[in-house]
Amino acid sequence: MTRIPGLRSRSPVAGLDRRTLRPLGVFAQSVATTAPAGAMASTPLLVIAVAGGGALWSFAVAAVVVALVAACIAVFARRMAAAGGLYSFTAKGLGPTGAYACAVSMVVGYGMLVAAAFSGASWYGSALVARLGAGTGPVALVGAGLVVALAGTVAVCAIRGIRLVGRVMLVIEALSIGLILVVLVALAVTTAPATPEPVAGTPGGVGGIAVGVLPALAAFIGFDSAASLGVEARRPFASVPRAITATAAVTAVLYLVATLLLMGTAGAGGASATAPTAGDLSWASVLMDVGIVASFSACALAALTTLVRVLFSLAREGVAPAALGRTHRRFLTPAFAVVVAVPVLAVVAAAGGLVGVAPAAVFGGLLSVATLGFLAAYLLVCLAAPRFLARIGELTRGLVVTSVLAVAALVATLVVVVLNAGAGLLITVAGLVVVGVGGWLVLRRRRASALRGMGVYDETTTADVLGAGDR
Amino acid sequence: MTSPISGRQPQAVRSALRILEEVATAGVGVTAKEISAALRIPPATTYRLLNLLVAEEYLVRLPDLGGFALGRRSANLAPAPLTAPTAARAVMHRLRERVRWGAHLVAFDRHRLLFLDPDPDHPPTDADELSRHLHASGLGRLLLAEGELPDAPLTRLTPHTVVDRDELGVALAEVRRTGLARQCGEFHAALGCLAVAIRAPGDGRLVAGLALTGPAERVAAPNTELVALLREQVGELAPLLA
Repeated sequence: MTRIPGLRSRSPVAGLDRRTLRPLGVFAQSVATTAPAGAMASTPLLVIAVAGGGALWSFAVAAVVVALVAACIAVFARRMAAAGGLYSFTAKGLGPTGAYACAVSMVVGYGMLVAAAFSGASWYGSALVARLGAGTGPVALVGAGLVVALAGTVAVCAIRGIRLVGRVMLVIEALSIGLILVVLVALAVTTAPATPEPVAGTPGGVGGIAVGVLPALAAFIGFDSAASLGVEARRPFASVPRAITATAAVTAVLYLVATLLLMGTAGAGGASATAPTAGDLSWASVLMDVGIVASFSACALAALTTLVRVLFSLAREGVAPAALGRTHRRFLTPAFAVVVAVPVLAVVAAAGGLVGVAPAAVFGGLLSVATLGFLAAYLLVCLAAPRFLARIGELTRGLVVTSVLAVAALVATLVVVVLNAGAGLLITVAGLVVVGVGGWLVLRRRRASALRGMGVYDETTTADVLGAGDR
Repeated sequence: MTSPISGRQPQAVRSALRILEEVATAGVGVTAKEISAALRIPPATTYRLLNLLVAEEYLVRLPDLGGFALGRRSANLAPAPLTAPTAARAVMHRLRERVRWGAHLVAFDRHRLLFLDPDPDHPPTDADELSRHLHASGLGRLLLAEGELPDAPLTRLTPHTVVDRDELGVALAEVRRTGLARQCGEFHAALGCLAVAIRAPGDGRLVAGLALTGPAERVAAPNTELVALLREQVGELAPLLA
């Protein structure tokens, strides 16, 4: 029996349901967070509106960028299993400063994604209620009621654990995708084909394709979320990277097909940037709305699942309040973080509608903040990948090229976003940056050692090594 | 994407096996660069195969993420034959002639129980079944008393099973104090067992356990003589098994 220095007998992330989730559940987590059904119905129209006939190219470029990012994330996912996902990875390459920045980006990204999914579900849900029941009370109240109901359900599911809901999420998503594909095909078949033109006043051509990459990229956000299930996945080093790359590939194909179908539909180029509510296909729009609501609900649950694991991981490191690191005794999930996060996000989602902002604006606003958070986190993890590999002596030339290309593409996208952003978005982002930097300064003074210790993950323990001590 | 290795890539399979062997001989903490240099396999190939072996859990990465060691799954490649020495079997045989209960000798392999010499007249519960529910058996509690409680929930097998963590903690403290674990009707409602730890004479490591199984209500009695007999057998068995 040998004693190995640095080997602990207990994992720092003990308390989660370790090594039990099957590969399908891991895959479901990434797919549900990406919410391909909802994105298929809305994003291609946004892209077609700016890129016209070049929309396919916009999606192709976005898919390549996502593939590069996925390759950088897989570098870490094959080597460490973390509950904090990308930020735990970043810590191993960029140290505490990068890890903190990435953690803040992830909390903003996933938090706003949950809120956006709440508001998206309530937006389409209240439209559905209005269409079916016709005039039951004021729309804003119905929307807020739907947010509360959904938030409660999602919170319970998140506490009960992913093993239970993983398969349900995948079934919901598959059904929604099927519904939306049927509707899109029906639309394409019943209407005369026409070449879509970019909306007047937008660039079109190569410039249009470039502008179209941003909304296309936004449709992919969340594909990385399986990384936060590293501790719980049964064979994380195989299933997590596979889930991430497979999600990126499957969603890319779905978006390209949806764009192709919509481009064959007359007038799509000039349609409003919401769902294609076709007047002559009322059965179709009802079905589509049902699919979209289901997809958003699954997205809210999946994004929350990742968000609470990020908070849990931060709490275990001592960066966030320790209470957030408490797990449910029976279900072995970060229950306390769920109880704290859900009400806050539900209020964020419901407040806009109650004040009188249009649901489309609330949803769009939340989603743009979320997208920025995700893009920042992806940028940091791509920067971290080559430095991490160099540190452990496993750097390859291919990965350096991948990382450089991914970083360049993400920086370019972020620059485009900031240049085209409205005042509201800029103020929000500036406010978040100020809060983030303030938090950093406070933590550096009060909890410097916790910051240095960022990046805990499910380390190999004595029980995993053959012939290492008794326990 | 990891490229799947098909049966048509014998070189990759050969390299993977050589890497496995290299980690076994070089010892804990060998790095990817060192393996690549020692075996003259190109670095990129080495890294890919190492990640594959880690994903399959034949290898593990150490906490510094740069070093490797053999994983627990590698033990399946060369299972250690586990049988009791003839002298220990003779001791067990004599014990079975003196008591009417089932007498079993088990070895502890980290978190598992392995039967060294099960009583042929009283076939014991399956060893894997026992290993899955350590909290509910006497032998399992000997093992649990050595370390921390597992994080997984405790399964209720019968109405008597102790599933409360605090209550089990008290029982385990008692086991640590006396070296005797007692369980009445917690695994099978009608049966119970008395289990005594067998420790290596040198370092006091828990190596094996000796258990008597019988009707639950009889196990619940003090059984002072039986316990004394068990302890006497343990004294004989310990030098034979360590």
